[in-house]
Amino acid sequence: MCVEPMAVRDLRAELDSLLLQLLRDLEELEAKRVALNARVEGWLSLSKARYAMGAKSVGPLQYASHMEPQVGVCTSEAQDGLQKFWMVRAGTQTPEEVGPCKAVLCRHKGLTRTPEPDPSAPPQDPLNWFGILVPHSLRQARASFWEGLQLAADMASLQIRIDWGRSQLQGLQEKLKQWSLALPDLPPQKQGSEHSCSLTWLHYLRPSSFTDCPPPQLFLPP
Amino acid sequence: MAGRGKLIAVIGDEDTVTGFLLGGIGELNKNRHPNFLVVEKDTTINEIEDTFRQFLNRDDIGIILINQYIAEMVRHALDAHQRSIPAVLEIPSKEHPYDAAKDSILRRARGVFTAEDLR
Repeated sequence: MCVEPMAVRDLRAELDSLLLQLLRDLEELEAKRVALNARVEGWLSLSKARYAMGAKSVGPLQYASHMEPQVGVCTSEAQDGLQKFWMVRAGTQTPEEVGPCKAVLCRHKGLTRTPEPDPSAPPQDPLNWFGILVPHSLRQARASFWEGLQLAADMASLQIRIDWGRSQLQGLQEKLKQWSLALPDLPPQKQGSEHSCSLTWLHYLRPSSFTDCPPPQLFLPP
Repeated sequence: MAGRGKLIAVIGDEDTVTGFLLGGIGELNKNRHPNFLVVEKDTTINEIEDTFRQFLNRDDIGIILINQYIAEMVRHALDAHQRSIPAVLEIPSKEHPYDAAKDSILRRARGVFTAEDLR
């Protein structure tokens, strides 16, 4: 297999770029995680509501027998082909989104046609499961968990990006290893070499191996 | 390009499920299965795993939220899930804080970096 030095250099640059993007995504996911983990006030507010209303007054016994989702998540394909999530509230979807969403629900219900939307029947507020006058702590709990849902949608999108980046990196690493096997006379990379870089995984090519090859350089994304 | 609306499913303890249902994600009618499972002391691991697999096989669920301590009980099922949708998100619970070392997604990402690669 004939491997050109420029191809190896481009591959390494792509590897570095992918790795940097992966690390950025991981950092962003970590920040979202910290924000989600900090949303303990939702549980505290639920506990306060339970204390005010009674131990068995806030729990599965109060769930409605019929529920309709007030919020959902829509997916779209970004420019890089990856799926992205965003939260949508019932009744706030654009006319273009209402059609496909209704089609999904209708297919599962076994209906053959898209039903007309019923504006006179808004989805029931889950707060009403717990009574007419609910304590303020229950409303605070709802707001806190709603914010948690927003974070969850962002984190799900990031997880998809991270999974994709990981699989791309592994593919390119494998390709680079195969190319290095095609060049068995390479010396191992020296420790502390001025050309060593934590962003590259394989040995640099020796300049003497290719008469037209410039000296090794650090490849950093612009 | 706009996508279709999907549900958010949740598998968690009583407080977690109640909280997210308060947020408005719940769906339940006579003809369909609910998109949530309250895990109690007498809930078996088989039940949790069956529900998790049902959620994975439904095409109207976009995200599955699961308390991490419950995810540990069905870790093999989470690790076997490779598709991007539905996305599985491990969340903390009131009594069990989140541990990044146990998260399936982060463990896979950590596997990219080995000691030999960084030498």
